[in-house]
Amino acid sequence: MTESNNGKGRPVGYRYAEQLTPPEPAQVTDVARTSFEHVYEVDPRLMQTWVLQQEFPNWDTLRIMNSRHDHLDWMHRHFAHKVVTGSELLAEVEAEGGQS
Amino acid sequence: MTLQAERVDEVVSALRGVLRDEQILTSKPDRLNRARVPAPFPVHRWTERMPDLAVLPTSTEEVAAVVRIANDLRVPIVPRDGGTGLTDGAVPLRGGIVVDVKRMNAIRELDLENRTVTVGTGINMLKLNEQLARHDLFYPDDPASYPCSLVGGRIGTSGWSLIGSRYGHTRDLVLSFDFVLPTGEVMHVGDGIGHKISKSSSGYQLKHLFMGHQGTLGIATEATLKLFPKPEAELSPFWAFDNYDDAYACVGALARAGVATFAGAVLFDEHKVAYLRRDDEAYIPQPGDVRALVCTVMYGYEDEVRPAGKRLFRIAREHGARYLGDEISEGDWAARHDRYATPLHGRTKAGQVVPMSWHCEDAAINYTHLPAVTKAWHEIVADLRRRTDVFDDWGMFAYTSGNTGVDYLTEIDVGIWEQQLDDRAWEMWVKAKRDIAAVAISHNGSISACHGSCRDGEVDLVPDELGRGFDVMLDVKRALDPNNIMNPGKYLLDRAYDTGRQA
Amino acid sequence: MTQIEEPVDRDDPLNRPFTPGMRDNPADLASMPDEIARVHEIGPDASPEQQFAAEWRNASYNCFSSGHKFCREVCPVMQVTRNESWTPTAFHANVVAMERGELGIEEVAADYVNCTQCGACELRCPNTLFTGDFYRFRTRTVDVVKAARAFAVESGVHQPGWKTWNERTDLRTHEPVLGDTDVSQEHVRDWSEGLDIPIGGETILFVDCEAAFYRTSVPRAVAQILQQAGVEFGLMGEQWCCGGPAAEMGYVDQAKRFAQHNLDNWRSTGTRRVLVLDPHDYISFTEDYPKYFGADYDIEIVLVVELFAELIREGRLTPSVPVERSITYHDPCRLNKRKGIWKEPREILRAIPGLDFKDVDRVTQWSYCSGGGGGLPVEKPELTAAISAKRMEHASVLEVDTMVSACPWSERPLGEAGDGAGIDVIDLHELLATSLGIEVGGSTRGGAR
Repeated sequence: MTESNNGKGRPVGYRYAEQLTPPEPAQVTDVARTSFEHVYEVDPRLMQTWVLQQEFPNWDTLRIMNSRHDHLDWMHRHFAHKVVTGSELLAEVEAEGGQS
Repeated sequence: MTLQAERVDEVVSALRGVLRDEQILTSKPDRLNRARVPAPFPVHRWTERMPDLAVLPTSTEEVAAVVRIANDLRVPIVPRDGGTGLTDGAVPLRGGIVVDVKRMNAIRELDLENRTVTVGTGINMLKLNEQLARHDLFYPDDPASYPCSLVGGRIGTSGWSLIGSRYGHTRDLVLSFDFVLPTGEVMHVGDGIGHKISKSSSGYQLKHLFMGHQGTLGIATEATLKLFPKPEAELSPFWAFDNYDDAYACVGALARAGVATFAGAVLFDEHKVAYLRRDDEAYIPQPGDVRALVCTVMYGYEDEVRPAGKRLFRIAREHGARYLGDEISEGDWAARHDRYATPLHGRTKAGQVVPMSWHCEDAAINYTHLPAVTKAWHEIVADLRRRTDVFDDWGMFAYTSGNTGVDYLTEIDVGIWEQQLDDRAWEMWVKAKRDIAAVAISHNGSISACHGSCRDGEVDLVPDELGRGFDVMLDVKRALDPNNIMNPGKYLLDRAYDTGRQA
Repeated sequence: MTQIEEPVDRDDPLNRPFTPGMRDNPADLASMPDEIARVHEIGPDASPEQQFAAEWRNASYNCFSSGHKFCREVCPVMQVTRNESWTPTAFHANVVAMERGELGIEEVAADYVNCTQCGACELRCPNTLFTGDFYRFRTRTVDVVKAARAFAVESGVHQPGWKTWNERTDLRTHEPVLGDTDVSQEHVRDWSEGLDIPIGGETILFVDCEAAFYRTSVPRAVAQILQQAGVEFGLMGEQWCCGGPAAEMGYVDQAKRFAQHNLDNWRSTGTRRVLVLDPHDYISFTEDYPKYFGADYDIEIVLVVELFAELIREGRLTPSVPVERSITYHDPCRLNKRKGIWKEPREILRAIPGLDFKDVDRVTQWSYCSGGGGGLPVEKPELTAAISAKRMEHASVLEVDTMVSACPWSERPLGEAGDGAGIDVIDLHELLATSLGIEVGGSTRGGAR
């Protein structure tokens, strides 16, 4: 198969072993870490007693993360035609100096 | 369940005269699945709240016919819309017939000139807005249950809207509605008799009376709603503070600024920030000196929102705010339209994840009382946590209710581990609810800005809050519902009847 | 009225905000005695319902305890029935009721029919959408529905339509889809007549039952596109139904037997890679088969929609014949909602000249469905028809003449709904083939080739 240019750098298609091998996580705080870009995960030591984690193939993690972003974008469009960017206003306010 | 099997048969056979068989549901799963709302309740007592049957009417006439039968046979009626309320309005306490209006979800008339839409009360606001978007119109009733609650339930609870500081709340947005009274008579109620009148001085102002009664006065079946242009622009900055006091000062200043496009501001207290650090990707990496947050939101034309937004940015800067950035500001705001908590946010004190039900205790509190109420409420929940991990403190929000900053919907979010909720834990919780309500009243507030106040615990204090007004409630209830068939057992309204309990 | 104003001990760690689990939290937080919380145990006299519920307990409580119901208005069945007993919320609550001893499987088995397994509820659930990836624990309504159906079958509670369907599937090794082509092993490759495709090999094309016997234009289009792009592939030695529908309806043993046959057959012909044109097969091969076979499952599964989008990007396929149609795209549930695959079909459509493409975004389409999945059309065809009609209403508003889908199972009910609305239903692969200058052939409605 050909190489994908969809940003994943892997050929299209599902491969079991690949799906069950997430990236090496990096600890962010005592209770959270990251794996894929934009994906935070609970420190697994907090899910050892009352609720155990499910088997989670990579595609599912990425599907959820991407869907969340799509959903939030959708909600913005649902409520208004455009979003005014706060950082632009902040820059203008900063440029004005101290007056209010 | 209250009815004997033969009485259920009698009711069903009478209902068959007015409904098709498939509109009458009598199986146990049908009844179990109409016994609950999201608010936690001991699972082992689930069946105490089962109705005897449920019906799925499709018109005002069918609802009225069902109610007439119930009134004739003295069988309780429980109106059910989305079933997403947090004060048990849709929960049957005495069995009877659940009248589920979800099938009444048609758009009846869209009036582009007068800017109104007339809908069946079983319609959901998000679905309605998907239709209205084609006309660039918008119905801005925006609760946390926005994607699933229904217009009828918003009427029955007199709902509170996240962007109500700009557009008003349900009571302001619903112009009029058809309403089936407990005797089965149908009334149209609005300002005056008009369907599309937003202000009338003719007669008593009845509309408010028939909103927020938690289904104890009847069933709204068709409503005419006020529409707005879909906003051109949205702005939703989030700011961080290194202490609660500065954030509190800032939210007050933002709300008092009198900016016309201001749609709301929200204060997150220190417990809320600590809670968000458990699992919220926006807040996990924030530096430790982020201890309180404020967000505000504005809707309008871009040439209104931009200068007004700058004004609010200046106010925030004066109060020591740090802007959290566009990604968090935009992402977090978009997530607030459906921000019911998720169960795995629950933690034992040691940090283990447990599935918890979310309960949000709310009150209407004046700005000046917010810090004291915040402190007192956390202490009540800390007392619960000291005894057991069944309860968890998920922090507090204070949301502006109006455009002047006079009062705030103040809520403490409490995680409750429902799998472990036995009678003793339930008793602890009911007492805590009563204490939480008492704090609100002692600070000149109201027990609820948003959900209603008819659950165990808080309901005991409703007569204290309303004073002579509570007796008027009893008089109204007795006059309109002579046989106490309409959602009996709620709001201590049994006191309206000599026997204290009928039906 | 008393005001709560007791003196507060600021040294008590519960009086200060904290994030549970942080390593520098006061040690006494973890050691306070608990008056209530106890370890949950299943007694030796647990009923079959309680044993069933034990497996799904936390998953179902996760829904039961949150009760937000954001699933409701995206659920295709709920949208047409408005019956709260047939909502994802009810499907989870019933598990809790079974655990409490309040319900037996025979009382609820028929309710679990009312699901197309489209996955909208799972995805829209905040427990998935906002936190599923964080906890590696998401809402699993589809799995719960499948498990409840399997528990019913195991308990001898059958739905008549499904029972017959699966018996016939077992007999013929293919689903008894209605049409002019006789459903049997003998005819499973009839669709490929004249295309000269070898049998077996490293890469094979798997053709689902509906496409092999009813909408044969779809596999004909796919095969000819592959040939045009120079992709080497064969057909399966002895292809049986993927087993997915049996698994969806609760006939798990049969599903596993079919899966084992297919895996063995792939191995016997040296197959390493399976090309899939049907989203339902794609779910079976990437979700069911891995559960059945675990780490032994070393077959690569490639969805042809993804492959075609890539071949177009690489210039190995260049659609150039204009197709003058005003179209909208129906996101197949099993691609969009259950797999997050929605870009590639649109890439393909945007590469086809002549189309007037009136797209509806994929999030809006979480609440769209054809009603053709999860065995619903077998047991409740009237609900499938109502769901398809509702889907077609959304298309009518756009004033298009054509709805393009990428799922053969959706195309029959949508096609029937489209007849009433004056909208043609075409498969994405068929449309691409046309634009590549291919005479597709085959049947779109089960007729003889």
